[in-house]
Amino acid sequence: MNQTLLIRKTPAIFRNVWLASVAITVFIGACDSASTEPESIPLETQLAEDVPADPESGRDPTTGRSISNNLFTLYDLDANQIVLPSSVTDSAQRQEDSTGTVWDIGFRGTTIIFNGGESGSGEASAQILVQLFDEVVEAPAGGYTTDGENTTCPQVQTPVGPVPGSKLAICTGSGNGWYNYNPDQLLISPIPGRTIVMKTATGNYASLRILGYYQGNPNPPDPNRPSRYYTFEFIVQPDGSRDLRSTIPDS
Amino acid sequence: MSPTWGVWAVLLFCTGAATAQQVPSDSSRTDSMRTVQMASMVVTATRSEKILEDVAVPVSVITSDVIKREGALRLSDVLANEMGMALFDDHGMGLQVQGLASDYTLILLDGEPVIGRTAGTLDVGRITVKGLSHLEIVRGPSSSLYGSEALAGVVNLITAPPVEGMQGSASFRIGSYATSDMTLQMEGGRERLGARIVVNRYASDGYDLTPGIYGPTTPSFADWTGDLRSRMVFSDRVLVRLGARGTIENQESVFASETDGLLEDRYNDEGRRLEWSIHPEIEVRLSDKIRLNTTFYGTGYQTETYHRRQDDGFVNYEDEFDQTLAKAEAQMDVLWGTKHLTNLGGGVIGEQIGGSRYGGAGSDPNPESTQAYFFAQHEWLASDLLHFNTSLRFDNHSDYAARVTPKFAVLVRPSRKIRLRASVGSGFKAPAFRQLYLSFTNPAGGYSVFGSLPMNEGIRRLEAEGQIEQKLFDISQLDPLLAESSVAFNMGGSVEPFAWLTVQVNAFHNNVRDLIETQPVAQKTNGSFVYGYFNLARIYTRGIELEASIKSQLVEQSSFDVTLGYQFLQARDREIVTALKEGTVFGRLPSGRDYRLGLGDYTGMFGRSPHSASLRAAYINRDLDLIVSIQGRWRSRYGYRDLDGNNLANRSDEFVPDYAVLGAAVTKSFTVVQTIEAVVQVGLDNAFNHTYPTLLPSLPGRRGYVSLEFNF
Repeated sequence: MNQTLLIRKTPAIFRNVWLASVAITVFIGACDSASTEPESIPLETQLAEDVPADPESGRDPTTGRSISNNLFTLYDLDANQIVLPSSVTDSAQRQEDSTGTVWDIGFRGTTIIFNGGESGSGEASAQILVQLFDEVVEAPAGGYTTDGENTTCPQVQTPVGPVPGSKLAICTGSGNGWYNYNPDQLLISPIPGRTIVMKTATGNYASLRILGYYQGNPNPPDPNRPSRYYTFEFIVQPDGSRDLRSTIPDS
Repeated sequence: MSPTWGVWAVLLFCTGAATAQQVPSDSSRTDSMRTVQMASMVVTATRSEKILEDVAVPVSVITSDVIKREGALRLSDVLANEMGMALFDDHGMGLQVQGLASDYTLILLDGEPVIGRTAGTLDVGRITVKGLSHLEIVRGPSSSLYGSEALAGVVNLITAPPVEGMQGSASFRIGSYATSDMTLQMEGGRERLGARIVVNRYASDGYDLTPGIYGPTTPSFADWTGDLRSRMVFSDRVLVRLGARGTIENQESVFASETDGLLEDRYNDEGRRLEWSIHPEIEVRLSDKIRLNTTFYGTGYQTETYHRRQDDGFVNYEDEFDQTLAKAEAQMDVLWGTKHLTNLGGGVIGEQIGGSRYGGAGSDPNPESTQAYFFAQHEWLASDLLHFNTSLRFDNHSDYAARVTPKFAVLVRPSRKIRLRASVGSGFKAPAFRQLYLSFTNPAGGYSVFGSLPMNEGIRRLEAEGQIEQKLFDISQLDPLLAESSVAFNMGGSVEPFAWLTVQVNAFHNNVRDLIETQPVAQKTNGSFVYGYFNLARIYTRGIELEASIKSQLVEQSSFDVTLGYQFLQARDREIVTALKEGTVFGRLPSGRDYRLGLGDYTGMFGRSPHSASLRAAYINRDLDLIVSIQGRWRSRYGYRDLDGNNLANRSDEFVPDYAVLGAAVTKSFTVVQTIEAVVQVGLDNAFNHTYPTLLPSLPGRRGYVSLEFNF
């Protein structure tokens, strides 16, 4: 286990030693009958592209304002696929697909929810770390909150003193959670160096980094493209451990 | 003449008042005037006449000679090449002083405020410099004398008193983009009465830096300004002045609005602006040592904007704004012995606005504010070496808490060639009208913005209409906004090592708190937000201003004047500085890789260049009546946007590259007949043709012009 710690502290050399670490963990795994070989190797960083998060569904004919369904897209990280898109408006189907533990994370506009607490019947909870995604090689033991239980959201400073922020696990509002809103350019940019670390609906650990909010993830981000399309990368550790070492995605 | 005498001579022998920026041409006082005129007199920094070099705060003067030889037409042209003045286009050409935005600088015309700001910016491109005698720039806060907005600096446009006798001038200029300027100036007077009328028309077809996109970069416009300045001397003790100005501008443009993919609607964009001011003033010399000045000032500013669809004339956007201000003020100047001068003053201001962005449901359609204020200043010449100036102002406003604003300045003169200046003072800026009264919903974006007063009612109404998804916090317990305020230090001095060289340096530090920013207060069901205004940010700006002036007499009738300026500037948001020190700020490279930023990576607030330089050079040959002027500016790169979500500029695609703009003008005068002089000027602006069509649409390419003026 000391080897593992060493690797955690020196991620820069990780690329060179990961094969060695596989051998070590395989060796350790052989001594530990509770775990199996495949789950101990470094995990794959997966990419989800253009996940719609309640995008514009039309325009108000008189005012020209954009209209959307005001519904969440629910996403299954284990399968890397959408469970229920925001475009489905049938309430019976939404009810059916949103119960249970298939989905882990939901997106609607800039709001992100997790399947737990007030948002769902699963075990999901989350926190946001001020740390590079690649450097989060082990999920923290504590610090997770479910939606509705978060009391740490930045208070809003007002002349009468601070007023509490939202209760969601990932705080809403520009600068409070995963994004900054730039009113001059009407641009929503993911805050760099922010990593969402979470438990999935079934209690596994995962880490997630949001790459973009606009369709096609243009670089530089372009507020003229259709918005409310998430591109993100993530790692899920299926064995229940907090180990989030990953392969470095090819660039 | 002793220095002390130089200071007091002004008050004893001139009836020029503190707020009036003129030294009247009263013939009975010609002898003393002659001595005074040898030095450059300024009034803005202390609200009373003082020799420029003896003011304890940083002041500069730009004379009409400089304005004319550089071919400047608008205030923006003049300020662009002045050390430490940066122009930044944001709803008009705003003036940054000491790294603080246009909102924090007061523009005065003969000592009275020019009003009319859009999103805080007072467009200095809309003010003609025709008919001015000179302008004075005070750096650092002067709120202790002028109140709100005089936080970063004050620019005072000063007209000359009308001459005795008759004279006039007519000028016509034509240049690139069909830009034309016509000015007719007539003035005349006798010993006790004088008046000047200036009529100016400034027009342009606008220019287009992006031919691929439908519509020009800047609109075509025609701007008329009429200005009257007059004086009436009723007795040796009573002088009355009347100033009045009116400006009307019409502008036209076209643009295309893209709706859903390839369909586009073409619109005409029509705008109209109307400005007026009237400024009577009575000055009474109660005794040789007491002077009383009473000023009335009324001014108005109106704008209208229409977006009219070309196909069917449908007006899809309409915006009107109307602001008026009325002011009455009295100031008394008292001389105590030979070493003490006290100025006491007070006044009332009433202000009213109206327009389409105000008067939404639940808000006052014509919000009014009233204000009473009092100020006091004492100047003590402790010795020839040491002058102290203390001032204090009390402002009691209907919409924000009463304020006391002090300032203290000292001038030390260890030798005739060295002057040291230090000052500490406070500046403030009242919450703007929009921050108090705005009630606006964007028709396209669907978001709403409310000022602090209509906020509660606006949210309640949206809620009743079912438009509110969630309130981010309880807004019902909000207190009124506070004024934004600063504590500022300026320290520096001037040295004249040789007769031909003056070097001035000033180090400044402005610590600004309670900056008002928008913040979302609720999310609407359409996904957009409702914004409100809050006292949130704290910033500081600090830097060094350096200026070297060379005046060399080449031969008997020709001379060479060069002024070189440099400013080093750090303008920083304290919240970002703290986060950078804590190591919680990262950047994201275009490749998608995140990396940590340190304090050294902070390039400062958007729109601020860390380094900037300015140049004014002129060769003057009096034998040939010829002036060659070269003027320009350079500024280092500055951040203008954030793409990677860290609220600061760190990637190269977040900066406007450094650039230099250089202009030149050649001026030649002829005598046509005995009493008529003709002046021909040929000039070139932006000679290197630097443009950044998308980054700097306000910077047109190379422009040439020719002008002809007759003085009679």
